Amino acid sequence: MEMNTSIFLPALLLIPLLGAVLIALGSPAKKTAILVSVLNLIPGLLVSGTVLRSGEVLFGAGTTPVREVFPVKFLLGIDGLSLSLVWLTLIVTLAAMGAAQNGVKREKEYFVCLLMVGLGALGAFLSVDLFYFFSFHEVALIPTFLLIGIWGHGDRSGAAWRMTLYLMLGSLVLLLGLIALVMSVPEVARSLDWRVLTETLRANPLTSSVQTVVAALFLVGFGTLVSLVPFHSWAPGGYASAPTPAAMLHAGVLKKFGLYGLLRLALPMTPLGWKEIGWIVGIMLAGNIFYLGLVSLQQRDFRWLLGFSSVMHMGTVFLGLISGSLLGLGGALTLMVGHGFSAAMAFAVAGEVGQRTGTTWMQDLGGLAKRAPKLWFYLMVAVMASIGLPGLANFAGEIMIFFGAWSAHPVLVVVAAWGVVLSAVAMLRAVRAIAFGPVSKSVENAEAPDLVGAAQIWPFALLTVFLFLVGLVPVVILGPARPVLERLVAP
Amino acid sequence: MILWFCPEVLFVIAGVGIILTDCLAPDTLRRLLSPLALGLSVILLVWTLLRSGQPMPASWSNLLVTDGLSALFKPFFALCLVAVTLMSTRYRLGSDETVRGELLALPFFPTAGLCLLASARDFLAIFVALELVSISLYLLTAFHRAKPASLEAGIKLLVMGGLSTGFLIMGIAWLYAAAGTTEFSRLLLEQAGKPASPALLAAAGLILTGLAFKVTAVPFHAWAPDVYEGAPTPITAFLAVASKAAGFVLLLRIFGFGAFALESIGQVFRPVILTLGIATVTLGTLAALPQRDLKRLLAYSGIAHAGYMLLALGTLGEAGLGTVVAYLWAYILATLPVFIFVNELERIHGNTDMRHLDGLARRDPGPSLGLTLCLLSMAGLPPLIGFSVKLAVLTTLWNAGETPALVIALVMAVAALGFYLSPIKAMYWEREADSIPAKRFSIYLVWVLLLAGAANLALGLYPQPLVRLAERSLAPHPTSFSIPQK
Repeated sequence: MEMNTSIFLPALLLIPLLGAVLIALGSPAKKTAILVSVLNLIPGLLVSGTVLRSGEVLFGAGTTPVREVFPVKFLLGIDGLSLSLVWLTLIVTLAAMGAAQNGVKREKEYFVCLLMVGLGALGAFLSVDLFYFFSFHEVALIPTFLLIGIWGHGDRSGAAWRMTLYLMLGSLVLLLGLIALVMSVPEVARSLDWRVLTETLRANPLTSSVQTVVAALFLVGFGTLVSLVPFHSWAPGGYASAPTPAAMLHAGVLKKFGLYGLLRLALPMTPLGWKEIGWIVGIMLAGNIFYLGLVSLQQRDFRWLLGFSSVMHMGTVFLGLISGSLLGLGGALTLMVGHGFSAAMAFAVAGEVGQRTGTTWMQDLGGLAKRAPKLWFYLMVAVMASIGLPGLANFAGEIMIFFGAWSAHPVLVVVAAWGVVLSAVAMLRAVRAIAFGPVSKSVENAEAPDLVGAAQIWPFALLTVFLFLVGLVPVVILGPARPVLERLVAP
Repeated sequence: MILWFCPEVLFVIAGVGIILTDCLAPDTLRRLLSPLALGLSVILLVWTLLRSGQPMPASWSNLLVTDGLSALFKPFFALCLVAVTLMSTRYRLGSDETVRGELLALPFFPTAGLCLLASARDFLAIFVALELVSISLYLLTAFHRAKPASLEAGIKLLVMGGLSTGFLIMGIAWLYAAAGTTEFSRLLLEQAGKPASPALLAAAGLILTGLAFKVTAVPFHAWAPDVYEGAPTPITAFLAVASKAAGFVLLLRIFGFGAFALESIGQVFRPVILTLGIATVTLGTLAALPQRDLKRLLAYSGIAHAGYMLLALGTLGEAGLGTVVAYLWAYILATLPVFIFVNELERIHGNTDMRHLDGLARRDPGPSLGLTLCLLSMAGLPPLIGFSVKLAVLTTLWNAGETPALVIALVMAVAALGFYLSPIKAMYWEREADSIPAKRFSIYLVWVLLLAGAANLALGLYPQPLVRLAERSLAPHPTSFSIPQK
């Protein structure tokens, strides 16, 4: 008899919450945070087994109540599409807890905030009810504000305010889109359950003009959360100022919420509208790839460079989203996950470099390869993944997107290919400045320039393993997601 | 006979009882005045919860009615009284310590008045009840005889309150002249289907103006920040929560489904109320941004909340009215605990400047967490109840097709983060002040704030009970609006 694993879905959320409570009550912060992140892999594994066998797991799907004025329902679910994002969250959260520096000030609050960010992302990916889908994403907003404000570097106060207000504005536009979507459905069929809503709208699509309005609101709302040009200006500075694990979680995981939302809601529910505004998305994503690619060439601070490069990759994902082909959508999903791992890795390396040498200004660095070979290795993995070296996750995604989008948007594919070049130039220049050349003063003076011991290395090794896994065997993502994506492109 | 033991009567008896105890009892007993007042207010809250749905004495039925709305809001006002009494027992009076008895006793009278207001079915009842509320509040606002700010606040409230009463009574007079009655249901019956006469419209406009003062709608809001700042903090809380809620209950009753719920009047006043709402949200939010004093901040935040409620009310639809009811409960849940906190802060530091919050989270993590949750609920962040009601406002506006109002409400909800986050920023992110006061927060505050935060969170995650309450409060009640038998 098959085990009913639905109970493990709320467990995925309760375990980090429990961890936060324990830390608040005085349990050793970093150890507890790592422990709960490891523990959370267990329900993750159990749930994955069922998803692989039967396609989806649902929690809380009982009888629907009689028509309510406010029909929210705590309903969790996971299918082939959200599976890979849930795993991305679990792994990056674990790595972020491991990469968090020891002896940070006000450790308790630090790890509670980090756990809440991870919890918000997990909850958003698991929620089936739109009310909770939206709410869980917002849960991460205030902890991020505090993380950047209290533990950030550089212009942390400005960055925290800018990021929070910007994301709030984006969220509210998104909320407007959700209201518009739900309210355009006739009252008898109205539901906040996106599975029900998708089926309803598949059978009785909205009129083309309504779809366009909703899709446009989603584009601006989710687009702001994903930092699509011209709504991107919160992101590079925010990531540059954020403490390492916060940048890892936000750039690696939380930003994928916007893309996930587009895959989940905009594409299946407003397909006509999405086609209608496709050309606007095209211009915007070209801005991400080309304009921000050029901007990233000008960066002198490694953290800022990573911020821009992370935002830049979102353009390529959007290209996959508007490709309208199974290959392109699969590539978008693969790149979402791959970018999650590679961005987390890159920010973790930048954090280590900054902490050990006291600077992330590339002109003040140099010769890291000699003095810190292990850190150099992981830097290379992160950079190579980011510029799309075959064998690593991002390459798999990008190549699928390029092939998938070629027939529909050949010009954009050319632009995106140039983006790869720009990205390679910027990143390789950074590697040259940081790793090679004469050993700089700050690297020379660093007391402990390299990673030492398993305790410091494992977060990096973990992310590396997953980067290679997704890069070499992308079917781990595409296999379970295929049925879901197929229904997206089915006429 | 038991009908005469309705909450309104008991509030008055309790108030008189406290004054008499204060005057006549020996000094040893007078020390028990605070627990006595607090106990009475709690007992009355329980009694109100039990009795608020029961009919009133028959001889009052010309003026007063018991329906879903009054049944829901009498406990609301009784709850405010408990909080105000709690705050009054701990309020720092300084050289005025000898008059604490009055500070404890007087709020019982306006509470009785508010409960009467919640039941009013005739403009005359509204006028009389409103005077009962106002006169007690003039006294209470100017309570700090030694403090110029308090006296100034008292004078301002007196002048502005007088002005608003003037508008109201003028409106009632015009109404009587135009329609020949001041009773809601008769007005509805007689005017239904007819085009509204100019005199009737003028009457409605004057009455709306009078009530706009009470709910601090822009441009009739200017008294609020000064009065809130000068009045003793418990009284500020009463003004900001109970008095404002009463204004909205009246607006619901008069424009929502009572006296003026007429097609002909709604056509004219729907855009007026929506415009008031837009102005109120915008000004309240923008003016709150630079505030550094917590009481002034709360005053402007209260103005902004009034704006959201006016927007929901302005759609004049069933959903909008229910939203106002739910919003008021969400508002009390988030705002009263913050006032209780401010009262304690003032007790320790002597004023309510925001810099006293600097670094508070390290000294007092419990109250800081509770306060943060309440503030975020006010800001309308999920998963707190403040978000659910703001969502309801936005949905209502969307369904009513009021796009400009919707866009402004959205933008202001973002801007509002600017001032709701600044106390949070002060608590968690600023350095502690060099001189930390010796006095600490008492344990009761920790519990009040944590419980309030938990309530905001729980209702936010599961808002159904509140929605059901709001829905039921507007459902026709068997005894409501029946024409009295002569």
